[in-house]
Amino acid sequence: MVKVEKAIELKEPTPGMAWATGAAAWLVPGAGHLIIKRWVRAVLMGGSVWICFFIGLAMGGHMFDLSTGQGSGAILQVPPMIANLGSGVLYIVCWLLGIGFADDPVQAARATYEYGNTFLLIAGLLNYLTMLDAFDIAAGRKS
Amino acid sequence: MRHFLVMTLFAALTAFVFGGMSKETPREQVFYGLKVFAEFLAIGLVLGWILYFIP
Repeated sequence: MVKVEKAIELKEPTPGMAWATGAAAWLVPGAGHLIIKRWVRAVLMGGSVWICFFIGLAMGGHMFDLSTGQGSGAILQVPPMIANLGSGVLYIVCWLLGIGFADDPVQAARATYEYGNTFLLIAGLLNYLTMLDAFDIAAGRKS
Repeated sequence: MRHFLVMTLFAALTAFVFGGMSKETPREQVFYGLKVFAEFLAIGLVLGWILYFIP
């Protein structure tokens, strides 16, 4: 009887709301938790992503897209681009405005350049975790 | 000093997210976040000293 109940539970489809929450959480860091009314998590986790991203930009960090600026192959740009892409709308807006994508030797010479890169990468990766957390809560897999 | 501050900031921001998503109760989350924060700092300092002696 218990096995049958478990099997039924496993076959229950993920609610559409959970997918929408996950998408919102990726697009705007913290929005997923706001939708499911987890205010503290939204402020702490989403806020961390926003702060991390803007500190990265302020430090002169560089974001990655598929362009091959410094002679490296496009395939090498993909893993860091995936990390950067985790920042959602922050990445998209910067990409559209050309902020943080230029290969500027002056910018690269800054002492905080590598720190900035790291903060920008981590902002995206942290937002992926935040997105998964919001998705799990919305899907009822986590309290 | 600036390097340490940046590392501390990084550890704090990461600990917020790790702590928030890893445990169930707020108390556990706070303790886990503090543990992650302390581990980041400790490992960073240890690695810093190890690399200091490697030419």
